[in-house]
Amino acid sequence: MSAQGPASTVTAARPSRPGMFQRLRSDKVALAALILLLVIVAAAVFAPLLTPFDPYHTNLRLRLRPPGGAHLLGTDSQGRDLLTRLLYGTRTTLVLGFAGVAIGTLIGGTIGLLAAFYRRLEGPLMRIVDVLLSFPSILFGLALAAMLGIGMDSLVIALGLSASPRIARVTRATAATVMQAEYMEAGRVIGLSDATLIHRYLLRNCAASIVVYCTLQFGETILLAAALGFLGLGLQPPIAELGSIAAEGRSFIFLAPHVSTAASLLIFVIVLSCNVLGDAFRDLTDPKLRR
Amino acid sequence: MDSFGSRAASLAFALLLAAPAAALAQESTLTALRTSDADRYDPQRTTTLAAAEVLYMVGETLVTLDRDLKTVRPGLAERWEVSPDGRTYTFHLRRDVSFCDGKPFTAAAVVGTVERWLNPDFAGVSKWKAGKVESIKALDDHTVEYRLKEPYSELLYQMTQFNFVIIDPEQAAALKDNFGISAFNGTGPFCFRSWKPRTETVLTRHEAYRWGPAFMENAGPAGVARFVWKIVPEAATLVAALQTGEGDLSYSVPAWAIAEVQANPKIRLLNPDVAFRTHYVGMKITRPHLADKRIREAISLAIDEGAIADAIFFGEAEAANAYFSKATLDFNPGMKLGAFRYDPARAKALLDEAGWVAGPKGVRMKDGKPLSLNFYGFTGDTNRQMAEAIQGDLRKIGVDLKVELYDATIVWGKLRTQDFDLYQMNYPYLSAGEAMNLYFLSSNMPTPNRMNWNDPDTDRLIEEGNRATSPEARYSAFAQAEAIVHEAVLWKPLVNEKLTVVSRTTLKPFKPHGISGAALYNGLDLIPAK
Repeated sequence: MSAQGPASTVTAARPSRPGMFQRLRSDKVALAALILLLVIVAAAVFAPLLTPFDPYHTNLRLRLRPPGGAHLLGTDSQGRDLLTRLLYGTRTTLVLGFAGVAIGTLIGGTIGLLAAFYRRLEGPLMRIVDVLLSFPSILFGLALAAMLGIGMDSLVIALGLSASPRIARVTRATAATVMQAEYMEAGRVIGLSDATLIHRYLLRNCAASIVVYCTLQFGETILLAAALGFLGLGLQPPIAELGSIAAEGRSFIFLAPHVSTAASLLIFVIVLSCNVLGDAFRDLTDPKLRR
Repeated sequence: MDSFGSRAASLAFALLLAAPAAALAQESTLTALRTSDADRYDPQRTTTLAAAEVLYMVGETLVTLDRDLKTVRPGLAERWEVSPDGRTYTFHLRRDVSFCDGKPFTAAAVVGTVERWLNPDFAGVSKWKAGKVESIKALDDHTVEYRLKEPYSELLYQMTQFNFVIIDPEQAAALKDNFGISAFNGTGPFCFRSWKPRTETVLTRHEAYRWGPAFMENAGPAGVARFVWKIVPEAATLVAALQTGEGDLSYSVPAWAIAEVQANPKIRLLNPDVAFRTHYVGMKITRPHLADKRIREAISLAIDEGAIADAIFFGEAEAANAYFSKATLDFNPGMKLGAFRYDPARAKALLDEAGWVAGPKGVRMKDGKPLSLNFYGFTGDTNRQMAEAIQGDLRKIGVDLKVELYDATIVWGKLRTQDFDLYQMNYPYLSAGEAMNLYFLSSNMPTPNRMNWNDPDTDRLIEEGNRATSPEARYSAFAQAEAIVHEAVLWKPLVNEKLTVVSRTTLKPFKPHGISGAALYNGLDLIPAK
């Protein structure tokens, strides 16, 4: 804040968010969600340092051991340490969520901005988006995963494509409001190119809303990745992924309930934290809700 | 309180009404649960196990198999003769047999059945089982002559299979496409009553039936008035239905639930003497790395088949170390089976010897290339667990296995390609000879001979076995062929599945039969406990 000087007047078109993190601190639930998420991300990133076990070392003679002893959370159906599998699984799941949302934002954001900027494109582009939106996202993801085959790349594309229509909607709605602002008109009058207008004025003023929406979409994408993994259209063994771990434990739900329960709880916590955090960000960045 | 009182009263009333009806139903109806249904109940147009289960109960074959699955016994034919050249079979039929509609069973039905099946315009399945038929004719009302163009040593064994069930040819001609759907007239201990696809198939007792095979406890009539095959697609639901008594017996109970049902005092587990279904990993020998037999042997030695049997199948399977069960007809006990043990140390030594040395990330390298193989398998709990266990075991000897699991709708197409090194499969079989014919003939490339095993000696020996006119000659030829394909290490046998029938104590204990995996066989021994 202290660095505010003449430079800030030049970039006045950017939305300013003074004290956002300070205000986040007053929202106890959101803060808890943020801390939880940071801990989970840190645990996933530093997984190899946190666990002495090899996530891919199988030993059928040690399978489905209950929690306790050397294996803190027990072992899975292949006798691998479950905690280790969950840490590596979280890694995969988070990467899937992040990459999926990134691709979704790239596609959806571009469609949304173009539709708002070029009014004659709006009709055709948004009708395509409407068609995509009318598919339940799990069905859409299933169809794409079946079409593109199995593997990390195609899974990320499937996740991105199924996230894109919603992001396109949100982007277009925000961008349409920004388009009516006087500085857009002013930019046009002084002869800025379309690319500059979109990049410097439109995108930057929409960015906050898109980012907030992405936080919510992140949880949804993780859930979809887990669902596809659960249905067997996710990643191939031996890669650990939370949805597949939950699915694998389903057969043993009576025999060894810890496998499915632990993986499902972890998905639940990650998705809930994302949603709480997304809500908090929306409140914080919405000028109309400023206290 | 009020509503509780009235509810209790109506419940008591309902119980009062239901009690005698339930007792009656219990006495006269048995319900078997299974997870999938047949496409139709026409023995000549289906290959499904679900069809075999029903067809063995409502129909019969000329000859049948004893419980050892090796000895051919009289069925509808009380005796038969084979000509010395092995080309003419003369069957003498029983005279006391009648169809469910009361019509007597004669040679015309046998001739009509085979003619319909082998009719070139008819989309019949599994026609190869009949051999190269020259003619079939009725010598009189109770004698049938079956003539072949060339000897076919396994004909009598194949004749015990459900595709050979004798139908009522007049009914088949009248009903056309509806035959085996709306009705089926057979000579079995049960009569086909009704079928609601993917729901239930209802059979009733064939009252006149007295001609059961000698190896069954009960010669007829059936011990139960009504028998229902009910479909419960979800395995967990099926287990719950057995636990609560909604069904009386099933052999579709998944291995993980066996321990659970075993704890129920009202449930008992029954096993046939023998049953043949083997799980294996096949190796495509035309792929770059797998052309070297040492690598194939190393793969075989690295996989712990005993752990798969104990852990993944919960002991409901036995570790296999040959391509088919040792109890099977014409199994060669003299073969060297050392390559099919679990011996990871020897596996590593073989890879060292072949020049594959430890590389980065634990994967072995040779000439700058990693020892990386790909594996096609099936989705589904047990298959996936086996694939992961195999992958884990191979990783321990430095082989990187890329597992690709496909849904049943896609996997058969994938397995036709030349793009994989290893594949996962399980198969039922009747005899060693049948397995040899199916998998190891060069004419069966690319599928089901997915290994691309192309060996003139194997082809010649199998052909010799097929044309043999004595059991000894047949054994000698098949046994040599078996030794060749085992010596070459083309598969890693994993486990022989046991067939476990889970039965409630509403039934008297009985001995299941392993024929074609249809464990209740003709259902004669299913008798309600009094």
